[in-house]
Amino acid sequence: MNNKLKLKKLFEQIMHYVFLLTALTSIAAVLLICYFLFTNGIPAMSKIGIFKFIFGTVWKPSADPAQYGILPMIIGSLYVTAGAIVIGVPIGLLTAIFMARFCPRRIYPVLKPILELLAGVPSIVYGFFGLVVIVPFLGQLYGGGSGKSILAASILLGIMILPTIINISEAAIRAVPDNYYEGALALGATHERAVFKVLLPAAKSGVMTSVVLGIGRAIGETMAVIMVAGNQARITNDITSGIRTLTANIVIEMGYSEGLHKEALIATGVVLFVFILILNVSLSIFQNRQRG
Amino acid sequence: MKKHITIILASIFTVAALSGCGSTNNTTNPTATASFDASKAITVISREDGSGTRGAFIELTGVQTKDANGTKIDRTTTEAEISNDTNVVITTVAGNAYAIGYISLGSLNDTVKALKVGGVDATVANVKAKTYVLSRPFLIVTKGEVTGLKKDFINFILSSQGQKVVADNNYIAIAENATAYTSTGLTGKIVVGGSSSVTPVMEKLAEAYKALNTGVTIEVQMSDSGTGITAATNGTVDIGMSSRELTDAEKAALTPTQIATDGLAIIVNKANTTTDLTKAQITSIYIGETTKWSDIK
Repeated sequence: MNNKLKLKKLFEQIMHYVFLLTALTSIAAVLLICYFLFTNGIPAMSKIGIFKFIFGTVWKPSADPAQYGILPMIIGSLYVTAGAIVIGVPIGLLTAIFMARFCPRRIYPVLKPILELLAGVPSIVYGFFGLVVIVPFLGQLYGGGSGKSILAASILLGIMILPTIINISEAAIRAVPDNYYEGALALGATHERAVFKVLLPAAKSGVMTSVVLGIGRAIGETMAVIMVAGNQARITNDITSGIRTLTANIVIEMGYSEGLHKEALIATGVVLFVFILILNVSLSIFQNRQRG
Repeated sequence: MKKHITIILASIFTVAALSGCGSTNNTTNPTATASFDASKAITVISREDGSGTRGAFIELTGVQTKDANGTKIDRTTTEAEISNDTNVVITTVAGNAYAIGYISLGSLNDTVKALKVGGVDATVANVKAKTYVLSRPFLIVTKGEVTGLKKDFINFILSSQGQKVVADNNYIAIAENATAYTSTGLTGKIVVGGSSSVTPVMEKLAEAYKALNTGVTIEVQMSDSGTGITAATNGTVDIGMSSRELTDAEKAALTPTQIATDGLAIIVNKANTTTDLTKAQITSIYIGETTKWSDIK
């Protein structure tokens, strides 16, 4: 009996370390990525000049002297992501509300897997869809010419962030205790009013999380955007003309780059990384405030 | 009541979605875009900075110039759309009546129209006759003295069978009246790597060679000319592939062997009424001086 207990304790201790090790693996991955990014990216930034790198408007890596200004790409990423939010968030949020509170029980088992399938579609397939459907369609809409534009990328990314927003928002709305809803009805609110005025505000934190994760996906998306955005490395304020995002800049030129050019691309990755970091930190600040 | 509204909404949405599909399908249908309006802006499509195809294009057309110090300047307009894949260039041009792009002659298919350059058709015969100006060499590069299996494979590429494979894939064979290759029954493995332009024909060559020498494995790794040259220099591949001439520094370390010639095709949408551009006109379009189809002089 005593022996058996000892064995169990030993086993528990071993498992304790196994779990610790798995946890450390993911942390190590994050730290290694940070280390790689910063040791390769920061020297390049200081070589180019941080101000010149971030606020430079000309990207000509094979010119002589080479110019590495990534402001067009930063603005490109911001425009495309903002567009995706404008298109994706209203549709995604309303779909989530529908799925959680309005969907007939018979349709739900059909809709849910379809929405989940949307999350599983590889991004290159989205990109190809954008290239052969959205781009020519927008081209016609613009009155002939190229449909590759900020708008095309925004629409495509808007679709791509839908599953993230729908699934997390739906879970958040479902997680609101039923007595909120019942209480609202008891006070004379209609179904719609109870959902929009009581349940939705109560699920605010979860909805915000879904939006931030959606932004994260939109800003980090690469393959699909490359195929529909046009990838011109210059600043534009016209949503019908093309633009290059930070991610596209890295992928397009990585294969051929060498020396400072390659380091500048890694430094582009650093900027992207900082963007995501700011996003995640602001989300946790927001969530802490909600709890506090 | 609500149920009825739901059903009606769903059916309206479905019909709208389907009709949307219909209208977009029309864009790939030539009859829908048959009315070509030359006063529209040209959509310039380029490959990415550093690509072998772009390198060949800007060099052959004169989009790249040298300044007083001998520094090369790539004058490709910043308004040019950038695609990092030949197939994306073709699909984009096929879907946009006002687009112009450039691809390897070997990748040309009938979804787009290849323009004449200076009145000369973009055909293999014309590249061979050197009347078509937009062409470039396909090279393999090796380090040091080539022996054994490597030598045998290169002999095969330059033999009549190997050059037939090149010609069958729409590239231009370089060795006329080459001698026939006979297998000497070697075994082993060769790693070939480099230019994504050379890779497709290299894969076909490897297949044909393996059919004759069953004991041989050939691994073809696709990357780009620069990577292929570097890999051949430091020995990570046995044979490097390049779609551009070597620089003097690279020539010091490696031996280039031309295995084929490739032509670049200037492609436009099938609805485009333009049939012929001079090299100067192409340059003018790509550096952003000419922005409308009707402005081409």
